[in-house]
Amino acid sequence: MFYIHQHSCISPQQTFPVSRIDELSDAVDKKLQVIEPSYEQIPPGMLRRMGKAVRIGVGAALPILKGLPAPDGIILGTANAGKEDCVKFLNQIIEYNEGMLTPLNFVQGTPNAIASQVGILTKNHGYNITHMHLGLAFEHVLTDADMQITENPSGLFLIGAVDDISVYNYYFEDKGGWYKKETVTGKQLYDSGTDGSVAGEAAAMFMVNGNRTGAAAKLIAINSLHHTDAEVMKKYLQQFIINHLPHGEKIDLLLSGENGDNRLRVFYDAAEEITGRETAIARFKHMSGEFPTATAMGLWLCCRFLQGDEIPGHMIKYSKPEKGLRNILIYNNYKGIQHSFILVAIP
Amino acid sequence: MDTATLKLQLKQQIVEFLNLLNVKPEDIKDDEPLFGEGLGLDSIDSIELIVLLNREYGIVIEDPKEGRKILVNVNTMVDYIEKHRTK
Repeated sequence: MFYIHQHSCISPQQTFPVSRIDELSDAVDKKLQVIEPSYEQIPPGMLRRMGKAVRIGVGAALPILKGLPAPDGIILGTANAGKEDCVKFLNQIIEYNEGMLTPLNFVQGTPNAIASQVGILTKNHGYNITHMHLGLAFEHVLTDADMQITENPSGLFLIGAVDDISVYNYYFEDKGGWYKKETVTGKQLYDSGTDGSVAGEAAAMFMVNGNRTGAAAKLIAINSLHHTDAEVMKKYLQQFIINHLPHGEKIDLLLSGENGDNRLRVFYDAAEEITGRETAIARFKHMSGEFPTATAMGLWLCCRFLQGDEIPGHMIKYSKPEKGLRNILIYNNYKGIQHSFILVAIP
Repeated sequence: MDTATLKLQLKQQIVEFLNLLNVKPEDIKDDEPLFGEGLGLDSIDSIELIVLLNREYGIVIEDPKEGRKILVNVNTMVDYIEKHRTK
């Protein structure tokens, strides 16, 4: 358990530097791409060398580090960051017959380029790590942060996740049938009745520690599961709630990672069944699109709602939570096998 | 290719290879220093420029001291390209 203080998110919606999530931007060419800011805090000489994933990751991280003590660690998650530069580098090896290669793509072509660039820019020599376990990369970041703060309760950590749509990952995911063949608007995404979702990307960053004072939210518990059986997932989720939801309290909101993919519906239906009719349901993949670390944007939304932002109508699937939102459960499923359960509450 | 055309082509390649944001090829002066003052390039850029010369003009620079004399400005680069290009 730890507390979330500052947070930021660069996403396909207007979330940075100010949040106007009631205005919905639709996908273009079946992709929900981030609205990039001007990156005033990144020196131009470094900015020109950054690929999109690095830009949005560093761009989201720097503002929330400003004015705070140096964090004891930087813990990020990504499934795909660096892949575009990595593939460019590999292509160069072939194109130039293993001859002279440029260093830039090599330097930028690793998933840890974001955490390391943040470390370099802020002269931070603390714990610096990138978790990359596809749809559970961000969940492992949360677990890592939880363990770090348990060991060092006064520690302050920058945590977050980044994934972008690159030419290469879009191609492979599309071929794999994970994106819809037809064009859908945000409002149509959940009712299309077809396989696949829309491609998405975002960077979300959080400053976390063990101190309740001034916190935006409290992360009560995080757990994950690898399984393809909805019944197993249901039992697991039920036990997760029994173990972690404070006695006598209810889940006020289920933030569902439902993504319009007909094949995954069974899992989201199961989550709704477990939380029951007393729990309001909201969805966010029509805002973020589908990508492995989308739950980071989900957690950022939870922080906003727990701090009093109204949940926009376009997110509501069932009921609207009463005033005094206390407990939010994020349930996400990645490709029918990776399940994520995050319980977050008011501090 | 005459020298003026080669200079313009090289400036376009420098902007493209180094991803120089907000710099147009015509903004780069022929005698403007590429490193430090002037265009403000750094050591990673110098490697990118050596790769550029290799790929686009077939020039191999193996001695770093030689590179320092060539990568001074557009004029010195073009002078070297005209004398040593193999493609």
